[in-house]
Amino acid sequence: MIVELFILVILFLLAGTIFPLLAASLDRRSIRTISLSSIIIASVLLCGLSLLTLFSGEPVSFALYQPLSQFSLSFVIDRLASFFLLIIAVVSACVALYFTEYIEHMEGQSRRNLLCGSTSLFILAMVLVVASANTLSFFLFWELMAASSFLLVTYEYTHDETRKAGIFYFIMTQLSSLFVLLGIIVLYVLTGSLVISPLSAASAPLATVAFLLLFVGFSIKAGIIPFHKWLPYAHPASPSPISALMSGVMLKIAVYGLVRFLLDVFTPDLWWGLLILAAGTASAVLGIIYALKEHDVKGMLAYSSIENIGIIFMGIGLSVIFTATSLPLLATLSLLGALFHSLNHAMFKSLLFLTAGSVVTATHTRDIEHMGGLAHRMPVTSALFFIGAVSIAALPPLNGFASELLIFMSFFTSVAAVQPLFKVLLFICLALFALTSALSAACFVKAFGSIFLALPRSPECAAAREVPRAMLIGPGILAAACIFLGVCAIQIFAIVGFSVPLPDMLLVSLLLMGMAALTYALLYFTASREVRVSETWGCGTLSQQASAEYSGHGFSEPLDIIFSAIYRTRTTNERTFFDQKNCIFEKGKGEIRLLKVFEEYLYNPLAQQSLYLAGRISRFQNGCLDTYLLYVFITVIALIVFLGWFA
Amino acid sequence: MIEQATIEGIIRILFVCIIITAAYIISTRNLLSVVSVYSLQSLTLIGIALALWSLEGSIVLLEIAVVTFVSKVIIIPYFIATIQEKIRIKRDIEFHFLSPTTSLILSMALMLVIYMALGRIIPGRDSLFFFGAVLGISLMLMGMMVTFSRKRTITKVLGFLSMENGVLLFGMFVTELPFIIEFLIIIDLIILVILTTILSVGIDSTLEDYHKRLHRFHLLDEPEEVP
Repeated sequence: MIVELFILVILFLLAGTIFPLLAASLDRRSIRTISLSSIIIASVLLCGLSLLTLFSGEPVSFALYQPLSQFSLSFVIDRLASFFLLIIAVVSACVALYFTEYIEHMEGQSRRNLLCGSTSLFILAMVLVVASANTLSFFLFWELMAASSFLLVTYEYTHDETRKAGIFYFIMTQLSSLFVLLGIIVLYVLTGSLVISPLSAASAPLATVAFLLLFVGFSIKAGIIPFHKWLPYAHPASPSPISALMSGVMLKIAVYGLVRFLLDVFTPDLWWGLLILAAGTASAVLGIIYALKEHDVKGMLAYSSIENIGIIFMGIGLSVIFTATSLPLLATLSLLGALFHSLNHAMFKSLLFLTAGSVVTATHTRDIEHMGGLAHRMPVTSALFFIGAVSIAALPPLNGFASELLIFMSFFTSVAAVQPLFKVLLFICLALFALTSALSAACFVKAFGSIFLALPRSPECAAAREVPRAMLIGPGILAAACIFLGVCAIQIFAIVGFSVPLPDMLLVSLLLMGMAALTYALLYFTASREVRVSETWGCGTLSQQASAEYSGHGFSEPLDIIFSAIYRTRTTNERTFFDQKNCIFEKGKGEIRLLKVFEEYLYNPLAQQSLYLAGRISRFQNGCLDTYLLYVFITVIALIVFLGWFA
Repeated sequence: MIEQATIEGIIRILFVCIIITAAYIISTRNLLSVVSVYSLQSLTLIGIALALWSLEGSIVLLEIAVVTFVSKVIIIPYFIATIQEKIRIKRDIEFHFLSPTTSLILSMALMLVIYMALGRIIPGRDSLFFFGAVLGISLMLMGMMVTFSRKRTITKVLGFLSMENGVLLFGMFVTELPFIIEFLIIIDLIILVILTTILSVGIDSTLEDYHKRLHRFHLLDEPEEVP
């Protein structure tokens, strides 16, 4: 049954891809609706399939096509795969629902058909990556995922910003593919097989090389610092539902890759765990610090994704450390925390991106400093965003709290069990993790306050209206999932057979609701019925001005001062003079801007070196026949020497 | 009947002739004599094929000798000599990467390297077949050196032809090249020479320009039109 369902999912997604491409020249809503409906049906089937496997725990293996004797397109759906398939299914269904209306507000006429087709292809590629049973098909579908996501990122290619983001994304994603491919090649050299299977203990040095290559490959895709730079470019440039898919799901595919290879292939060393933990902690802290400074709502969410992926990596790192130090229960707990946070992050980040998309559609701006007062104009969107913000800020009883608490519990429990040196390290990471959680709350208080509260700061914002119902259903389901996963966390773990040290949030929620109802009832029956209408006190001014409001920048100013060492600025001034001795000033320009540290000190020097090297290498291709003949001559001699002495 | 030792002695002498002709093709600046030397090299190969035939009695060797004689001693040299006569270039003094002296020194080094490398692969260093293989590969590489170290197309073509002689020599001694393949290679060579005839006067020009070039190289006897 699982196999049949899986084939149906593939067929529906293929239909969703091919149909709009066949009718690429026709600008009709019906074509796009059919394609998106195919995605929704496929997602529902995928959801059923993954839940069946998740609860039964029985892995299912099958091969669909065998082009070569050593290679087949074979798939395995076990609990780990079905968990990530569930993430893909839920987010894809909600995004497709949202897209049915959102896409009609987009530019591009018939090009929108291609957007639908590419979205379906992107989802199909992610499904196939997760279900792949061997390294070659894993890589092939990984590349398909990269290519289709590139098409999605560059949808609005007429904008300069999008083209730049597209090129940046393309380079980074290909770099990721290169590292993954090299890792897979090393694994093939070690095992002589393409099947994802455990390595023998004798292959330690090369196994470390394979792990490092795969770790870098997956880290680039996941947006781990310092490979994160494509996220703040790609997300603002992409359509919001695509950002939701990329941030909510695609980053998790990288997490899946890392977990799959760590669990099924390698026997990790202790330092591997330390490396993952360090990378995760750095990403979590720096990600949220950069998010605080960001005023582009989608850019801010992109940085927040870096932070959350960092938290997930912290959980995985802890799990590897505990496995290496023979603490299996703690290892399971931290891995469960990481996986649960993957699911939760997929839910609340997709919710936030979709609601942010609604806000951007209504206000025509991404700058939160030009928003405000949307709580009255877009009440449902505002409520949905609020649920997402509370979830991501890890406030109880929502899902972000449950998963972060699991990782906190891993830290707390481990401190008593490990050696003193590790204790110090874990305390440092724990402190930074706690800081991250606090900063995350501050960041989303700022985001919600600036976007939805107070008075509108631009005419477009003042004229904003609630988005159509179809654009509320998708986020609504995600918001419900955030509440459900938070409130029923312990029950969900119990159903899938894990006992975790979490408080019963259902009971807490019921108590909270009871308290709220009691308070309301008490106030309702005892408070005065007299109604007093007045304006909020505004420091004695005659009329309230939007420009006098507490801005997002103002809110984060104290934190800017605290982290000023990280927010490094660069002051530039350019002056021109009328005379040669620079005495009579003509004109000038001064600028203080935030330094893009990684871009200026890592990416740009690397790019320059690559260009220099490419320039040197390109000299070999000089268009002269004699030179090419010389190369052939040298190659033949080298071959003869090799055959004579080394073969 | 001639004794086997005598035939082997003749073949060794012909090997020396091959080396001398290859060295001449690499080093000479005189274009007219290169074609003659190429004919001589091909003739030497025919001699080797006949000597081997008298040793082994394989009819393919006779066929190769006949085809080589017709194509490489008569047809191809005739075509090239005709081109040279028409374009009236007698000396090739432009070199790329290697001067004639350097080419000669490098050729010697090459032969040594190939001798040592093949010595590790093919057993029996004193056998005729081993020397045939070494010379075949050396001739091939020396021909290749001519193709990239000379600037004139006509000399490059001669280098390529010399390379093919190397392949033939190697085939005769080591792998026994099937006759049909040797025949096809020769057809390729003839097409190459015909193409060279066209390229020498310029295939990249327009029809009018092509006519002008034909006049310039005295390939067309009609009077040139004056615009």
